[in-house]
Amino acid sequence: MKTTNPQQRALALFSIPVFLFLVIPTAIVVPVALNDSRYITFPPEGISFAAVAGFFADRAWTSALTASLQSAGIAVVIGVLLGATAAIGLHGRKFPGQPAVVGLILAPMIVPTVVLALAFYQFFISVGMVGSIVPIGLAHAVIATPYVYLTTRASLAGLNPALVRSAQSLGAGALSVLRHVYLPVILPGLISGALFAFSVSIDETVMSLFMQSPGATTLPVKMFTDIQFNLTPKIAVSSALLVSVATVGLLLQVMFVLKRRSSARMLPLAVSAQT
Amino acid sequence: MTASVISAGSVPRSGRAAQGAIELRRVSKRYGDVVAVDELDLTVQPGEFVTLLGPSGSGKTTTMMMVAGFEEHTAGSVLIDGSPVDTLPPRERNLGVVFQNYALFPHMSALENVEFALRMRKVPGPERRQRASEALDRVGLGKMGDRKPRQLSGGQQQRVALARALVFKPAALLLDEPMAALDKRLREQMQEEIKTLQKSLGISVLFVTHDQDEAMAMSDRIVVMRDGKIVQSGPPEEVYNHPETDWVASFLGDTNLIPCTIVERDGEEAVVDLGGLGLAKVRDRGASGENYAVSIRPEHLKFRTRTSAGNGCAATLLSSTNLGATVRHRLMAGGHELQLRELSSDRGAGIVPDEELWVGWDADKAQLLVLES
Repeated sequence: MKTTNPQQRALALFSIPVFLFLVIPTAIVVPVALNDSRYITFPPEGISFAAVAGFFADRAWTSALTASLQSAGIAVVIGVLLGATAAIGLHGRKFPGQPAVVGLILAPMIVPTVVLALAFYQFFISVGMVGSIVPIGLAHAVIATPYVYLTTRASLAGLNPALVRSAQSLGAGALSVLRHVYLPVILPGLISGALFAFSVSIDETVMSLFMQSPGATTLPVKMFTDIQFNLTPKIAVSSALLVSVATVGLLLQVMFVLKRRSSARMLPLAVSAQT
Repeated sequence: MTASVISAGSVPRSGRAAQGAIELRRVSKRYGDVVAVDELDLTVQPGEFVTLLGPSGSGKTTTMMMVAGFEEHTAGSVLIDGSPVDTLPPRERNLGVVFQNYALFPHMSALENVEFALRMRKVPGPERRQRASEALDRVGLGKMGDRKPRQLSGGQQQRVALARALVFKPAALLLDEPMAALDKRLREQMQEEIKTLQKSLGISVLFVTHDQDEAMAMSDRIVVMRDGKIVQSGPPEEVYNHPETDWVASFLGDTNLIPCTIVERDGEEAVVDLGGLGLAKVRDRGASGENYAVSIRPEHLKFRTRTSAGNGCAATLLSSTNLGATVRHRLMAGGHELQLRELSSDRGAGIVPDEELWVGWDADKAQLLVLES
């Protein structure tokens, strides 16, 4: 692939600007966070970790970070359990109404977040659950589940159905089949889905905003509310933090996929990190 | 699924007095209006090698899957060693199954694959490994235990699958077109190996294939299936030499079908009128239908002298094709086009120069059958 033909050059001419357009705004927050200034400015006037230190010294910001990580934790655990079991349960099975079931699982990806936010808000109010990070985590789990379902379903496409039968004929019960047949096949999809779930939750703002309460304010919500009164470099620091988390997640995913040399039946690795 | 159901206790332990008899009593499988298997009666005796032979869609694989427990039959009963297994899940039927593409666990080594059934039966580690390596030794892969399936050739994967299906001493072995993915030479080698292994273990085998050569080479008994029904069953030579219908005759290889009318029959032999070929005495299995024909395999037609005893008639040679080991002649005799096949080494044996060409056959090699098509 050393020689470049006109098509390849045309492709590069198109894709490099698009790539830069997508990456530069995301990457720009990092130098801004390391700016030696009390205000958000670009280009940076000098490099300093003062804003980073300030971020981690401020309890309001660290508790927002903790809240985000907690909600992401809830979303990942529940999303993985629901998404993976749904994918396995529906794998290779046809029954009336199956498209409806799949549609229901995928619905949270399509329904506007603000609608979901309102619905969850009213629901959690009516059962008296607002006031902690739990309802936010549960709501995030709902929007994270379709990602895990899709990545798991994609890796299941590579499963030889005869493996299940052969395990059964050799004496394996349901749990053994799950462990020895399904798990090795779906593991890349599961990890991929978990990373998606994590970044979806970390990034989610609208629902978290609706259900926020003291002690249950996630990082994007804290950024959103602060940005209106108090434009400090700490906002840039949290943005940089979110970008780094997303980048690390993406790299982990890529490394894992490359290491497994699995047939890489995965969704395009599009971790959104707009903050 | 509750804990008690998945405990090892419900999986039959190896060493139980397994004879390996499989019996199907009027077993049917319907998908809506479609009848895949139609009131099948079939018995595999302990130690017997029975082949279900048929084209795709004949219900042979469905039948095997019902024995294994992967497909539920809609009527009838399946018995293993005399007891009904209709309600038992596959893992409790104690049958070794080899699948078409082997279905080895890709993330486990060959040895771990073979160990799997023992692991499910809670056999302790050291014993498990020893039994698994013995099973691998038996199929000639003792040194390949560490390899992953993808590092093994098709034939080696096949052997691992075989070792895996045998290691827990199953009541019987079910083989679903296990050689379909192998090339011809390897397939023939595996046929012999499986046959030898089966004989030395004395295990019953239910074998599914659409390859009549494979069925001929391996079986104690061939069960020919078509449209969910058994159309004929018997030892390979019998089914091959004495087909009951033209469909069976053609499915099991090349044959000459000569339409005929029955002059007289006694259930063993019949005298038939072959039209231009005259009257002939042929074998009869007593099958009845509307139209009849006589089947003579190409290798049972011989060039003869006019004075030879038995059936025969004058013929003219249309063409000859050398097929390597054999030569195929196309002949015209009594208004029928016939095929005659002889060994290349015997080419032209029986032909007397300067005399009219004459072909004949032995009465016991000509089979009266029912014309279906």
